[in-house]
Amino acid sequence: MSDTNNSAVMANAMGEKGKGGLLTKVNFRSILPLIGFALILLFFAVATQGKIVQMKNLRLILNSTYVLMISAIGVFMIMSMGSLDFSQGSMIGVCCIVVCTLSHVSPVLSVVGGILTGAVIGAVNAYFHVRRQIASFIVTICMMFLLRGIVAFLTTNAPAQGAGYLQGSLNNPTLLLTITVVCLAVFYVVFNFTPLGSNLKAIGASQTAARFAGIKVQKTKTLVYIAAGAITGFAAFILAIRNGSVTATGGNMMETQIMLALVLGGLPISGGAKVRFSNIVVGVLTYCILDRGLSMMGFEAAPKQLIMGVVFLVFLALFSDRDSNQVIK
Amino acid sequence: MAKEVMLHAVGIDKQFGPTHAVDHVSLDFNKGEIHALIGENGSGKSTFTNMLTGIISIGEGTFELDGERIEPKNQVDANHHGAAVIVQEQGTLDGLTVAENMFLGDEDQFISGGIKNTGAMIKKAQELLDSYGLDYIKAVDPIENYNFEDRKLVEIVKSTWFGPKVLVVDETTTALSQNGRAELFTVMNKVREDNRTVIFISHDMAEVLAMSDTISILRDGEFIKTVSAKDVTEDELKTLMVGRQMSEHYYREDYEGSMAGDVAISMKDVSVPNQLEDVSLDLHKGEILGIGGLSECGMHEVGKALFGASFERSGEVTLADGTSVKDINTAINHSIAYASKDRDNESLLTADTIQDNITLPSLRKMGLPLSKRRQKQFANKYAKEMSVKMVNTDQFVSALSGGNKQKVVLARWLGAESDILLLDSPTRGIDIKVKADIYALLDEMRKQGKAILVISEEIMELIGMCDRILVMKDHKINGELERSRELTEQDLIALMV
Repeated sequence: MSDTNNSAVMANAMGEKGKGGLLTKVNFRSILPLIGFALILLFFAVATQGKIVQMKNLRLILNSTYVLMISAIGVFMIMSMGSLDFSQGSMIGVCCIVVCTLSHVSPVLSVVGGILTGAVIGAVNAYFHVRRQIASFIVTICMMFLLRGIVAFLTTNAPAQGAGYLQGSLNNPTLLLTITVVCLAVFYVVFNFTPLGSNLKAIGASQTAARFAGIKVQKTKTLVYIAAGAITGFAAFILAIRNGSVTATGGNMMETQIMLALVLGGLPISGGAKVRFSNIVVGVLTYCILDRGLSMMGFEAAPKQLIMGVVFLVFLALFSDRDSNQVIK
Repeated sequence: MAKEVMLHAVGIDKQFGPTHAVDHVSLDFNKGEIHALIGENGSGKSTFTNMLTGIISIGEGTFELDGERIEPKNQVDANHHGAAVIVQEQGTLDGLTVAENMFLGDEDQFISGGIKNTGAMIKKAQELLDSYGLDYIKAVDPIENYNFEDRKLVEIVKSTWFGPKVLVVDETTTALSQNGRAELFTVMNKVREDNRTVIFISHDMAEVLAMSDTISILRDGEFIKTVSAKDVTEDELKTLMVGRQMSEHYYREDYEGSMAGDVAISMKDVSVPNQLEDVSLDLHKGEILGIGGLSECGMHEVGKALFGASFERSGEVTLADGTSVKDINTAINHSIAYASKDRDNESLLTADTIQDNITLPSLRKMGLPLSKRRQKQFANKYAKEMSVKMVNTDQFVSALSGGNKQKVVLARWLGAESDILLLDSPTRGIDIKVKADIYALLDEMRKQGKAILVISEEIMELIGMCDRILVMKDHKINGELERSRELTEQDLIALMV
């Protein structure tokens, strides 16, 4: 069923691409992720006999997007500049341990602690990437190793347990939704209505030319890595609210989830001019619907991951924008 | 005497999105001739020859080379079919030796039993270099040991040693000094004597008239006319290219050089390793100060140093109000503009829109919240003022021709209301019409009291436009010339070498 659907849409797409000039092609490209999102939703609506679009399930999906959505904001900024960050998942793990530990002292301290921890880790990433001029993906992969070690070490004997109020009074879907929406709204305004967005995209398009246009490339990069860390630290607080504790696998694979979600949302891997805020929202929603939909169809974790891998490859083969593929900095 | 046709192009056509770069061009190129292809930037000359030499794919139409239809898949394939090109930009790759560059993609001839005989390759490369009289270039050396000009000469050997039936020389001369040009012209003449064909692309009309037998003119992607070089004048060619009569004055007309204005910016004892040694100069308001010299003399670093963009700079750059310029940000905040010689890498975000390129340094002044409409209007205003040829400001800069790219750079700095303009090779690779526009703009800005620095390898441009000319040699200033009607090229050359 979905196959015929798919190919029909694709045939349509190809036709349009062939006929249209550059402009229609660009516009068309920018709505492709949306089409992908719709296709996935449609597929699961049929496959689960409409269950996935029931209020209860939509709520569940929404609940699963918060952490991803917030931490994706930071990674989005990093990827806009054409850099990558593989340390985000392990960073969430570490920050989550800090949050849970400090939650026994006070809620405010635990939020601040989470944010600061993330910011410090981001600063270390920035030091090696920006100051020591090492490619971002290799720096952050090393950082991932290091942080995974820390998480495992700190949770050797027992999971880091958060205070009761995290899972209690704070675990309120409306509150979490509000927090997420506020985070997105604030970032939307900052990205689109201050020079920050243009500066990040300019760095992604060409670092040298950005420098000659007066953008402080090094400073911007450093601040973005620190900000991304801080945002992820905050996302870790949300995760702590949802889970209550952290085990050795806390935040495992989240870095890949975030980056995949963003790419599914249409973010070019090399960043630059074609980056759009909508990449975050569309991407994370697509990812979470896929995840939830497969669970509802009764797939266990292992086959689910396999299927998702296949879906990602197919999606990217069909939809990704090869024009802007460049070397990752 | 009727000549045999070497290359028969029929209905050649190429579109890039909404841009019709080459519009069904049919042209014949004869054996034993140097056939110039001229036209303004964006007229489709390079696109046409790039299709012939496999750099881009053929949109529509056919090329018949010496009776054989060719559809080259890449440059090496084109070489095998007898079509070779020397390109405008750098065509050799860092990290490889001279020999490896010469035989790039064509190493098969040295491979036997799966093993490459590097020795044989180097030997052959060196023999070829020697035969062109370039024995000072060593085939075993990494190519980056040589300067831009020598690398260009290596490329000339690479593209011609196998005796291509048709050789495309695409705007190569602007990258070469007098000696390099002489070398290139010798090679071109040899191809003609061998009864083969040269397609010669150049913006220098004098050079075109001196070198070629036949001249074909393209305008906006369309073929206009083929004329015999001995039957036309430079002015007639210009008229054909532009499609209207060119006005008489090209450079500025007055000869009262003035530096009466106050000093706008000055540099004192500035040194940059391997580039500048203790250079001091003052740039005044309302003057055009020229800097000339051979391309390796360090003059291009002067612009960067004044703009705060040099790495490891010592010495002082100060503005009239005493502000010290140490970084690009300070420079831009004090309305200094800089257009680099390396337009595609240092001046423009080619993978971005015209709008973003124009607004980027001015965003900081637009206030918060930034309005999308305001940015669009801003970009439109200055793109129109510079008459950038475009569909709209959402178009990517990478799709524009060289002259239009430079207009975008200038539009950016017009928008930033710059008072001090540092322009490095402002008309490099730009056709006469856009050149005339740029000269008129410079003259206008000079009259408005702006301080303008023009760094240029084109001597006539310096003589024609500048109030004062500083000539550099070996990283130092070697002399100063005042504007005068009597100033000749020889006066400058004497100070350069």
